[in-house]
Amino acid sequence: MDADKDNANPTIINPSDLPSRRRSAPTTKRKGIFDELAPAYPSLADPFSSAEASSASSEFDGEERREEIDEQEVYDLISTISDPEHPLSLGSLGVAKLDDISVQRPTSPRSRISTVTVLLTPTTSACSLTTVIGLGVKVRLLQALPPRFRVDVRIKEGTSQTADEVNKQLGDKERVAAAMENRNLINVVNTMLATCE
Amino acid sequence: MLRQDCSNLLSAEFPAAIHNYRRPQKIDKKFVGESVLATGSFDASAGIWRRWEEGGGKGKPAAEIDFTGGLAGGDAEAEEEEDEEWRFAVILDGHDSEIKSLAFSPTSPLLGTCSRDKSVWIWEELEDDNFETVAVLQDHEGDVKCVAWHPGEELLASASYDDNVRLWREDVDDWACCALLTGHKGTVWWVEFEGADRIGMLGTSDEVSEEQKAVLELREKAGPRLLSCSDDHTIRVWRRIPKERREMPTGQGSLPSIWKNNNFEEQWIEEARLPQVHERPVYALNWSKKTGRVASTGSDGKIVVYEERWKSGATDKKEPNGDVTMEDGTPTTVAVTEPIPTSAKDGSGTLTEWVAVAEVENAHDVFEVNHVCWATRADKGKRFDDEEVLISTGDDGEVKVWTFDT
Repeated sequence: MDADKDNANPTIINPSDLPSRRRSAPTTKRKGIFDELAPAYPSLADPFSSAEASSASSEFDGEERREEIDEQEVYDLISTISDPEHPLSLGSLGVAKLDDISVQRPTSPRSRISTVTVLLTPTTSACSLTTVIGLGVKVRLLQALPPRFRVDVRIKEGTSQTADEVNKQLGDKERVAAAMENRNLINVVNTMLATCE
Repeated sequence: MLRQDCSNLLSAEFPAAIHNYRRPQKIDKKFVGESVLATGSFDASAGIWRRWEEGGGKGKPAAEIDFTGGLAGGDAEAEEEEDEEWRFAVILDGHDSEIKSLAFSPTSPLLGTCSRDKSVWIWEELEDDNFETVAVLQDHEGDVKCVAWHPGEELLASASYDDNVRLWREDVDDWACCALLTGHKGTVWWVEFEGADRIGMLGTSDEVSEEQKAVLELREKAGPRLLSCSDDHTIRVWRRIPKERREMPTGQGSLPSIWKNNNFEEQWIEEARLPQVHERPVYALNWSKKTGRVASTGSDGKIVVYEERWKSGATDKKEPNGDVTMEDGTPTTVAVTEPIPTSAKDGSGTLTEWVAVAEVENAHDVFEVNHVCWATRADKGKRFDDEEVLISTGDDGEVKVWTFDT
């Protein structure tokens, strides 16, 4: 059975072992200092543009000012994406890992552009669906994050034979745009993203 | 410094003239009494559009026509002057996937197009609206992102997803690749030649030393240089190594019909790198034909302007951007004798340096900026003859105009 799959027997992580924000801080997030500057973009899938952002306090009280989007939130956005091959999430398959997500703040005080870097670990080194998985993650983040985030989705070094090629494709916005004109790919990606809330 | 100009949009590259669907990727124009516009589309076709100009044929360059009414914004004042409408003339089919860039030759009735299908096509306009495919060039191993013509020769440059730049010329009867420029460590997004009128000239060239004169002469002999920018965040200047004896300096016409014309291949070297200001892929650049200044932009949302200057001897003045390293005390014995080592990096080995003279961050809010170009300023706010403004387009869907002050 499942002979046509690249990896018929993937390791599955127990849901309770998946990283989550335990006894996490109150749900009212402080507004990031850059939010004042960034315009609000209505996005269908943008969970951050909703109501909670009304407590405008631009003073940062001694604490290190922080961005309101951190690695855990990026993880939450992508870990629920379904694998195109298995009825499992990228989080439970260990394709997306919290440790392999980083959020870089603007490099200069004047810049307002942050970068999210996600390294993916394919279930097998020969997984032919690596590109599609990467595309799904990229599309998910492009849709969910505000436009001031640049999204770099890459395959973790040493985990795939085609990593360089896939990285290059995912880094090329024209390639990504062209891929999202392909009906087959759109269908696959939509199915993958259907499990995200 | 750069300042955003609030005045009307003038003479940018042509705004989106759409056929079938999708905005064109790149638009080009030329003036032949009537204006001709070529558009490359996401649907893999190129379109040719025509429009009669008032006083057409009098040599009024297309770049000075005021597009503030109607065309610039799309449909705002579409009803005014129907004669000024662009007329769809012909569609050029052939590419397999979306056209990334196209350009009319300034010296001949040729049009170059390139596409994600990895090919470069050259079309010749035989008579009005009759375009023939002259060549399909398939040496690139990845999407071809940009094409640009040499200002004085039938020489086409192309930039690709395969990290390389290729130069193409006609060899006896066939078009072929005459030079391969390697070095970039990522997709080359844009290429562009220097203007023909001021080859190698510098913004500030009052009196020149003998050494400097030799550099200028060398450059004159080599012809217009080429600029490329890449996903690897760098912008590089390439220069041809002039051939010792070249009977046909223009490289066109029928050379003796030997099987393989060894006069055909050209050698180009990386002459310099511009200061690395960009922190993310550099999508576009434009080399001013008037001032020689270069503007660049890209994914980091910055617009940067650079100028080439003579290195001022041994003075280690402010290095505006870390990458410009100057070798103190050695104004170098260089450049007079070819060849400058191919390994020459960061402009060492020449008497000039590139300096970033202006920078704007967040030029299009938080969005990526896709395109920047110089244009002659023609509105009432013009401050001096030949003043140029910068025009930029971004992922926010806006077109912005910037003035430049030294």
